[in-house]
Amino acid sequence: MTHGEAAATGRVVVCTRGQNEGTASVGAEEALSLGRKLATSLGARLCWLVLGPLPEAEVEKAGSFGVDDIDRIEDTRLDGFSPDAWVAALAAYCQQESPAIVIFSQTPEVRLVAPRLAGRLGAGVVMNTVDVSVGAEGGLEATASAYGGDTRMVYELSGAPSYVVALTTSGLPAEPVEGSPTRPKCRSIAPDLSGVDERIRVIEPARAEGPRLEEADIIVSGGRGLGSPENYKLIEQLAEVLGGLAGASRPIVDDGWVDSSRQVGLTGRITRPTLYLAAGISGASQHMAGCCAAKTIVAINRDPDAAIFRYARYGIVGDCLEILPELIRAVKQ
Amino acid sequence: MRIVVCVKEVLDPDAVNNYALAGRLEIGEDGKSLTQTTIPRLMNGFDEQALEAALRLRDAGAECRIGVISVGRDPAKILKHAAALGADEIAAYPTEDPSPDYHVVAGVLAAYVRSSGGADLVLCGRQASDDDQAVVPALICEALEVPLVPNARAVERVNDGFRITRVTPDGDEVVEVSGPAVVTVSNELGEPRYPTAARKIAARRMKPEVISRQTLSLTDDDLRPRVVARRQFVPAVQGSCEFLRGETPGELSDALVERLRQDGVIA
Ligand SMILES: Cc1cc2nc3c(=O)[nH]c(=O)nc-3n(C[C@H](O)[C@H](O)[C@H](O)COP(=O)(O)OP(=O)(O)OC[C@H]3O[C@@H](n4cnc5c(N)ncnc54)[C@H](O)[C@@H]3O)c2cc1C
Ligand SMILES: Nc1ncnc2c1ncn2[C@@H]1O[C@H](COP(=O)(O)O)[C@@H](O)[C@H]1O
Repeated sequence: MTHGEAAATGRVVVCTRGQNEGTASVGAEEALSLGRKLATSLGARLCWLVLGPLPEAEVEKAGSFGVDDIDRIEDTRLDGFSPDAWVAALAAYCQQESPAIVIFSQTPEVRLVAPRLAGRLGAGVVMNTVDVSVGAEGGLEATASAYGGDTRMVYELSGAPSYVVALTTSGLPAEPVEGSPTRPKCRSIAPDLSGVDERIRVIEPARAEGPRLEEADIIVSGGRGLGSPENYKLIEQLAEVLGGLAGASRPIVDDGWVDSSRQVGLTGRITRPTLYLAAGISGASQHMAGCCAAKTIVAINRDPDAAIFRYARYGIVGDCLEILPELIRAVKQ
Repeated sequence: MRIVVCVKEVLDPDAVNNYALAGRLEIGEDGKSLTQTTIPRLMNGFDEQALEAALRLRDAGAECRIGVISVGRDPAKILKHAAALGADEIAAYPTEDPSPDYHVVAGVLAAYVRSSGGADLVLCGRQASDDDQAVVPALICEALEVPLVPNARAVERVNDGFRITRVTPDGDEVVEVSGPAVVTVSNELGEPRYPTAARKIAARRMKPEVISRQTLSLTDDDLRPRVVARRQFVPAVQGSCEFLRGETPGELSDALVERLRQDGVIA
């Protein structure tokens, strides 16, 4: 490993997976904004740890978010699905650098890696975090969503030498710092991963088909209110005329109407489209966890008291089987 | 083969959703527990499916003993349910704390696995429907130094290891591990079975083995929390929905499309 000059202990580290030129890392800006806020209150340095490539534009962006240091780990062993290598690399890094807190933006990979890292280090861990702040007694407090979002739990982070938190992408602001940007000090770190033997062998890789809901700008989702599997084609048709993708709530996935890759929600896809149109979906917290970051939510539901209307910008009270064909017509006009 | 399934008692999430919608979720005097005593307590849904995965391995011909363990205030009820479904051993670790620290829970579960003869497979739910954390299985895998395979929809025995079909954002992925592992189970596994009447009666006579700090030889350090749940609150959801007007589905649709075009949301 390369040793920087007197590595500061107690740094705030924001960790993301590296990106190729032209693609932004989802959630990085929110995580950096929170990291900056914490580093300032703790009087600590803010470090952005990137696993993988980091385009020049991102280095500039780091400056505008007040990053003090950029540490990079690049190793081909970290490519693809390699949780053992990830945990080993991050644990080696944390053992050397002793950060006070490591902040991730929550992705499916992070869901797997972050708590294992905490287990390896003996660190405390909180997932689904919506905020971290310095509490009344000067210690850190993490607020996380619970019951799918029906409630929030506030966890006191004390008693462990360090902490690992993962932020849900929705809800946190991304705020560049005021004033002139910092000029982050860049380091390349090369933990020795030669001894890592990936214990999970991929026999058949997942084959992503077509564009992903996570990246969609417009999503039309259907739920149990569609009544029967054939009616899902109305959802697909409306999605198509809008140039968007079709999503679903969990019950119609569980009942085999649509493939599980369409499930939006806490245990499905976490999306953030411009437009999310939900038809025949009640708006349970666990569903909303996957779409409440949408800019505009539209709901079609027979029940005027359905929870979904609490999140919606526009609502239509009515039978979605009558409304959907008319909507398709109106959009085409 | 020995399989250990970890099950947690939770408040019925559908009932919690309904109370939340009605604006009637209340936090008790301790500042962190939901007080509605009318909300049923049951086995976490994904944990029921984890147990189902174990039972399917047995149905597929694997010779196995299935042990089920729960840490909680009163785990006896869900453990009886597990016994009625086909668990061979049930073990309870009672706690006073309504929301014990995940590291402590995982430490207890890992210590139970070790002290009860080890396990070829530890099955957990993908997450608990109350805290949604999905950290306990990862902490168990690190404590036992075995791999963690999350979000399984199917688990098969292959030689001394397992073949797991797991749900990923890019579709299903098939992976193999060649030895013991912690596997978490997702809802895609499908409906868990119901206990038969005969098994329910037989299960009534089955008493959980009560384990404790002493029987597991846990140290102060093992029981030291690293994250302490302090408060729970109900976030405000600000509704500002504009209900569109119209006499017919056609008028309502036209009104909506017009608004979305005005707002620049659609072309
Ligand atoms: C731990 C956990 C994780 C979960 N994860 C997810 C997840 O990732 N994604 C997810 O979606 N769910 C998830 N759920 C399930 C979630 O709690 C709800 O049960 C689910 O979202 C409800 O789906 P739904 O709205 O389609 O069905 P329902 O709740 O049955 O609602 C159907 C709605 O359709 C309306 N309706 C009926 N007929 C019509 C009609 N003709 N026209 C218009 N409206 C009509 C009804 O008024 C009702 O509001 C999870 C649950 C748990 C406990
Ligand atoms: N108190 C507990 N007792 C037994 N198993 C648990 C307990 N808490 C969590 N688990 C297991 O760990 C999984 C994930 O829980 P969590 O990390 O709390 O989301 C659950 O689905 C259970 O299989």
